[in-house]
Amino acid sequence: MDRRTFLKLSSLGGATAALSACDKSGKLRGQMIRFIPEERLVPGVAIWKTSLCRQCCSGCGLEVRVMEGEAVVTRHGQRGLMQMGLAKKLEGNPEHPVNRGKLCARGHAGLQVTYNPDRIRFPLRRTGPRGSGQYRQVGWDEAVTELSTRLGSISSQGKAGSVAFLTRALRDQRGVLVQRFLAAYGAPPAVRFEFFDDAVLRRANYLSFGRYQLPTFDLARANYVISFGADFLSTWNSVVAQNRGYGAMRQGRPGLRGKFVQVEARMSPTGANADEWVYAKPGSEGLLAVSLAQVMLSERLRPAEAAREAGARIEGWTQGLSDYSPEKVQDQTGVAAARIRRLARELAAHRPAVAIVAGVPLAQTNGLANALAVNALNALLDAVENPGGIFFTPRPPLAYLPSVEESSSAKSLAERILNNPVPIEALLVYEANPVFASPATWHVRETLEKIPFIASFGSFIDETSILADLILPDHSHLESWVDHVPESGSTTAVASVAAPAMLPLHHTRAMPDVLLDVAHRLGPKLDPVESALPWKSYQEMLQSAFEPLRNHAGSVKAQKADDFWSQVQQNGGWWSEQSDPPPKAPATAERSATVVKVAQPELDGDARDYPFNFLPYASQQFGDGSHANLPWMQEMPDVISTAMWSTWVEINPRTAERLSIRQGDLVEVRSQHGTLQAPALLAPGIAPDVVAMPVGQGHEQYGRYASGRGANPIKILCARVEPETGALAWAATRVNIRRVGTRGKLVLFGGALRESPRNYRYR
Amino acid sequence: MAPAKEQNQKAFRLKRRNWGMAVDEDRCTGCEACVVACHAENNIATVGEEQAARGRAMHWIRIERYYEGTFPDIKVKYQPVLCQQCDNAPCEAVCPTYASYHNAEGLNAQIYNRCIGTRYCANACPYEDRYFNFVNPAWDEPLNLQLNPDVSVRSVGIMEKCTFCIQRIRAAEINAEKEKRQLKDGEFNPACVQSCPTEALVFGDLDDPESRVSRLAKSNRAAKLLPDLGTKPKVTYLRRGSWYDEQNT
Repeated sequence: MDRRTFLKLSSLGGATAALSACDKSGKLRGQMIRFIPEERLVPGVAIWKTSLCRQCCSGCGLEVRVMEGEAVVTRHGQRGLMQMGLAKKLEGNPEHPVNRGKLCARGHAGLQVTYNPDRIRFPLRRTGPRGSGQYRQVGWDEAVTELSTRLGSISSQGKAGSVAFLTRALRDQRGVLVQRFLAAYGAPPAVRFEFFDDAVLRRANYLSFGRYQLPTFDLARANYVISFGADFLSTWNSVVAQNRGYGAMRQGRPGLRGKFVQVEARMSPTGANADEWVYAKPGSEGLLAVSLAQVMLSERLRPAEAAREAGARIEGWTQGLSDYSPEKVQDQTGVAAARIRRLARELAAHRPAVAIVAGVPLAQTNGLANALAVNALNALLDAVENPGGIFFTPRPPLAYLPSVEESSSAKSLAERILNNPVPIEALLVYEANPVFASPATWHVRETLEKIPFIASFGSFIDETSILADLILPDHSHLESWVDHVPESGSTTAVASVAAPAMLPLHHTRAMPDVLLDVAHRLGPKLDPVESALPWKSYQEMLQSAFEPLRNHAGSVKAQKADDFWSQVQQNGGWWSEQSDPPPKAPATAERSATVVKVAQPELDGDARDYPFNFLPYASQQFGDGSHANLPWMQEMPDVISTAMWSTWVEINPRTAERLSIRQGDLVEVRSQHGTLQAPALLAPGIAPDVVAMPVGQGHEQYGRYASGRGANPIKILCARVEPETGALAWAATRVNIRRVGTRGKLVLFGGALRESPRNYRYR
Repeated sequence: MAPAKEQNQKAFRLKRRNWGMAVDEDRCTGCEACVVACHAENNIATVGEEQAARGRAMHWIRIERYYEGTFPDIKVKYQPVLCQQCDNAPCEAVCPTYASYHNAEGLNAQIYNRCIGTRYCANACPYEDRYFNFVNPAWDEPLNLQLNPDVSVRSVGIMEKCTFCIQRIRAAEINAEKEKRQLKDGEFNPACVQSCPTEALVFGDLDDPESRVSRLAKSNRAAKLLPDLGTKPKVTYLRRGSWYDEQNT
């Protein structure tokens, strides 16, 4: 810098301050235009708005703390400053039946979705080759016109059936809207894809109890909880609701403390809480459950009839399950016969007792049998729809109800997109990332690359949306109308709804409104569209969906339609007063004919070449990987390993010693389908013949915080499935490991702290 | 007029509180909701991978995990550790600038603009719950919009720590004073306590014998961390219970 420029700069007055406030485009903050505020708030005074969490499928109610602030926003394609209400903190909605004012770590981090620096700020049109990430900004009108023209021309060619909509399980009116749009257009129903999709358990619950639904656990009133592989306090199902119940089960009743037993091969954050942690070979959990039932039957602790239909699904139930005596299964499960007997006696003696199953036992080739075995155990313990047992959340009497998916993600993705004999002409993607969350052997990326037109509603560039030709970015959940019908987590019917908690920051548009816009543009071409989608906006649709609730006894009593609607929004939803159990599906011939033999799983890979069973698991920070772009989640230490910003391979210390692997060494994990490298973490709570890895890192494309960090264990999985549901058996892969270097990137929070329990002594 | 107004003000006095916390290890499931809630409420910066690898990550509340035994007979204990707000705090005595001091309500407060970054307090703290800003905290725009306006943003060279969410305490006190009433037990909570799904964390007035926290502090499961150091912590830990059958045998 010469003297002249120095003087010039310093004469600007506070030049350094101004420079640091530079916008990305190089514009000084002070030079930016100021928009007229769209709302007025008192500075420094917080207001609270109800909203809903969309970080997972639980559907917890939120209260958003909104305060006035100054934000750089995009309006009419121009960036400028605006005084506006900004979400500052998320709390649980104290009235909401699912979470009762509580919120989990991932829910809190939902704030960073809205404010994420990598959010797509305006519609994008691809300019470079596919996957290059080269896009140009387009206006909304141009983007919507392109989408509707594409869809219009495909339909006039008579190929409407070759349009696919790929999304996750949508338990809200978005699901209904997408379904109606596709039906009116003439396309098949949406393909729902999630890596951890619970299809096996839903199928089992249908066969055992007549319900295609995940269960709700009444832990608060249970005296004994036995969980088979379910990480229900950290990642699985309605986590906040289950944590609330668990706390009450432990210390909520004076003089009565429930016992918790966890059965698994790798100690999960949930299993770490157990009074008794039981190691069982992965996939043999069903055998253990049936053996527990066998003891109860043979010792006449419980009547065989108690299990009703659920028992009839297990081969040999009426004969007293003599093939499954503890002595016969102890070698297969790895649990000693005496221990099985003791656990069975404890379970029978300390009712209400409840059994939970999820995770690894269901992600096996024998997953359905494992689930049915645990269901039968629950029925035998009289835990179904009884206090301290399992319940099924009733469905609210909304005008339209989102359907619950009956097919597994793997099956629908394979049948409808990957192996579809009719080539897909256009693909619409919303909140799904199958390119990241699928084994390499599925070749999802290669298949998607062949599709002539892909449009994404994503807020971020991820592995799937980078293939899109057109990106129509959605609002964040705090900026849009949100609604939800929880599948589980409550014993009363719940229909949540909330208005936007804040104005949109960027030039984005809500997916349902874009879809309605497209439908109206296609209108004359597609006659049924108008009749199926009569609403002008998503808000209007929600109001008409909630209208019938006014005539039902519930949390909102207002008589007038407008009062009712505003009060429902204020409360964050509507919930029924009493808990009628939902009607059961009628017993069909197909259901009563299903009888399974509980046996050992089949694993992929020869035990000599691949001696370790490889168990990927949902990570506490990232779930299935969709939260890896949030810095709070990256820096939150994993509770078991205390790792931040990392991936790791969990290895038993004795195994590691045998293979000369030390903590932090770089380890190669090799399956028949691929290899990956990650640092070793010596974990005392994992079986010597098992290695485990968290899912969530290893993104190639997912913003600045997640891209190029760690490895993705999903990629090396085998393509084996549970045969009846077609669900991916993600725990059925065998691998080998070897040390390849000394310097793996493993950042531990706990390393610097005093880790020995001796340092923290009690009085 | 004036004397009457003064008298009126004198007539009502907010009771001085002795804030404390109880941590029930039997309820805690290690879900870490408190950790992120604290980050969101208190503008704690994320430092990034490089700094985290050098032990510079800041978590005012953390979950410690202790293993016992070897596979397969293994037991784990989770212990949420935050500033113990000691009544006889080692951090306060060593601060040359009185940045770390004992406030009227017995909290170990940290006055950021007095702090010159000697880090003596962090050395003295036996619970290792003081965090130093080794780098200037930065938020990639627009992540800065998440910042809580009630809490000051710290800069490089400053020591920071858990405050029991003093901004929430002050807000509740101001409100109660305006309404001329005493604070009720559980009327407000620090961010970690408010979000805790299992209600493992309980906050309140230790001097009020009826408050939940003071009743829990008298529980037969109650214990303090490192009691023999004589720091007099205001956080009580409730030991994990055992199953009723085990107790009977």
